Amino acid sequence: MDNLDAARLQMAFTLMFHIVFACIGMVMPFFMVVSHFKWLKTRNPIYLTLTKAWQKGVAIFFVTGAVSGTALSFELGLLWPGFMKHAGPIIGMPFSLEGAAFFVEALAIGFYLYGWNKINEKFHWLTGVIVGVSGVASGILVVSANSWMNAPSGFDYINGQYVNIDPVKALLNDAWFSQALHMTLAAFAATGFAVAGIHAWQVYRKHNPAVHAKAFHIAIIFGGIAALLQPLSGDIAAKDVAKRQPVKLAAMEAHYETEKGAPLYIGGIVDEKNKTVSHKIEITKGLSFLSFGDFDAEVKGLNDFPKDELPPVAIPHYAFQVMVGMGGIMALAALFYFISVRKRKWWENSKFWLLFAILAPTGYIALEAGWVVTEVGRQPWIIHKVMRTKDAVTPMPGMIYSFWFYVLLYTILTLTVIWLMRRQIKVLNQKVD
Amino acid sequence: MLYVVLVFLVLSFFLYVLLGGADFGAGIIELFSSKDNQKPIKKTVYEVMGPVWEANHIWIIIMIVILWIGFPATYNVVVVYLHIPLTLVLLGITLRGAAFIFRHYDAIKGGSQKLYDRLFRISCLITPIFLGMTFGALVTGDIVLIEDNPNAGFYEVYVHPWLQVFPILIGCFYATLCSFLASVFLIGEASDDEKRMYMRKARVAILAVIAFGFLVLITGFAEGRDFVTDFVANPFADAAVLLSAILLYPLFRAIRFGRVKRCRFFGGLQVSLILFAAAITHFPHVIETTSGKLNFMDGLAPQSVMNVLAISLIIGGLLIIPGFLHLLKSFHMIKMLEDKE
Repeated sequence: MDNLDAARLQMAFTLMFHIVFACIGMVMPFFMVVSHFKWLKTRNPIYLTLTKAWQKGVAIFFVTGAVSGTALSFELGLLWPGFMKHAGPIIGMPFSLEGAAFFVEALAIGFYLYGWNKINEKFHWLTGVIVGVSGVASGILVVSANSWMNAPSGFDYINGQYVNIDPVKALLNDAWFSQALHMTLAAFAATGFAVAGIHAWQVYRKHNPAVHAKAFHIAIIFGGIAALLQPLSGDIAAKDVAKRQPVKLAAMEAHYETEKGAPLYIGGIVDEKNKTVSHKIEITKGLSFLSFGDFDAEVKGLNDFPKDELPPVAIPHYAFQVMVGMGGIMALAALFYFISVRKRKWWENSKFWLLFAILAPTGYIALEAGWVVTEVGRQPWIIHKVMRTKDAVTPMPGMIYSFWFYVLLYTILTLTVIWLMRRQIKVLNQKVD
Repeated sequence: MLYVVLVFLVLSFFLYVLLGGADFGAGIIELFSSKDNQKPIKKTVYEVMGPVWEANHIWIIIMIVILWIGFPATYNVVVVYLHIPLTLVLLGITLRGAAFIFRHYDAIKGGSQKLYDRLFRISCLITPIFLGMTFGALVTGDIVLIEDNPNAGFYEVYVHPWLQVFPILIGCFYATLCSFLASVFLIGEASDDEKRMYMRKARVAILAVIAFGFLVLITGFAEGRDFVTDFVANPFADAAVLLSAILLYPLFRAIRFGRVKRCRFFGGLQVSLILFAAAITHFPHVIETTSGKLNFMDGLAPQSVMNVLAISLIIGGLLIIPGFLHLLKSFHMIKMLEDKE
């Protein structure tokens, strides 16, 4: 493997982990403060137990997210010095604001974790809300830096020089809104389903169903609403990509020929050599409609883009199918849940709980797949149409060893976190028994 | 606006060295304590650091972000040539953070605690050593720029600058500074019996700081490092070090009489003076290479970027500093209330 691919793999790998930690750290505080609010209102001790159990989860994920985020702030420069040298000043603003938001979050979490019975009750609760809000703000700002790579703006690129830099314009680039909306909803949907799934499993196993059912409902309401809204934001994002990065759209749809009234392919096996897609389901004129809102619009195919500007096709296409498939399942499951609120008898059926337990990983699979679509689909560019990824990578050879080093480190960390979470749940069950 | 950015950069550098250093030092003290003492230290460390420890370590991120936004040329040299020691620093920070949270948030306190403790203490020792080595590598004058030496080998370019006696000694020196800071900060938080122990630790740490400081100077002289010869030739640097040495007397008195605030003030001031001495000697030529010294103020980001950066830092500062002080104050008051109970 060459240095560039090793560096790309390492970046993908560390981001994959950070995204999970960061999203849980971003969304779980909201579950925690809802449970906390219910405790303050009803004084039902179940909610206090639940809040305290979740707060430990928040603390663990916040720190692992913070640590893996620190790692990324190093890696951006260590792996992509060519990128950071030019892009650093331009997209510095979202990162510096993100630093501030993160700092606020760290302070709020300090108050929240250590403030029980020590500071004013309402203020204490409010610090929990601040944890969540500043976490979401951090997420949105980081996504804005990423969207700038898709829609570079706020500078002029003249003779290889980056001039007339306007950091505010760079922050509010064209892809900012659609990406931030899509990602925020994804974080809520994925975390909602994951947390709900874990608690549903406990209900299914009949471990303290009273506590775990309450936990399930809080999480699934957040996750379900986000999952229902997500297709709408996906539509906004797809139309945006069609306009700004038509080659990425063509890759994720595995669309080779330019045509009017282009069909939408569902599934299919991509043959990159012969530029064909076999075993697919075709929906007539579907792609034209979804991309441009017009059944007869022309969609440019991969064959009509310059050869040296084509991204890989199979990976974004498969990842896109996985993302949409998982998203669809989650939206249906959310609908199912909201109907079940009317028909509470369903909750007595253990299969109801098993279903949601099985669905626990769907959101995170969709979320990771979505990032694969947008990142692989942007190749060979690190900054769309401005800088190629191969020109940004570090000149230091031997990145493959660095990659394996990170794989080892992150695997150990993940296994430890999973193990800690299991112990958390075990103790929660014992407490209520 | 450039000066606003510089003030924040220097401020976050000092705060990281002082506060982050005290955090590392707490783990180092634990590592070098007897089994009986480790338990109370662990408890105090948690009580003191718990609420603020994450905040302490954000300063390094702020430093990095300011560097990459405002000083891209300098940042680029650092990340390309010091890739390996920075990765090792990162490893240390990661393991340390993880071990800290694991040992305090594991729902079952069992045999695994031993592993977390060991991991925490060892990473507390190695991280500042690698940090010091990274800084040392910048000033050894052995960094080989590839554009000037296209035929230089891997070892020469990516390993040799940091893997030498001089930078390693600087690393050890910083680790001793950390343990000094931690013992001085912790004196105020401990109960009476523990206090005496921290006082002993503080004295040992001071001796270690002096010993390694001398070793750095002697080695630097023997190897003819510009960093050391310039340092000695600079009257401001000499005055700062001398003042720092003189302050040992009031510090020892403050330690003996258990004056908490004075201890911290003098301890922090002494380390700041040493940092100041190192900074004044070399600014703006922070990086020394075989092709000459690089000027920190070359290759700055354009004015428009500096302005926005300065404004964001001011806004961030206004938002964060009151919160930070309030956090420290609230928990200090809580501690006092608990002591009365």
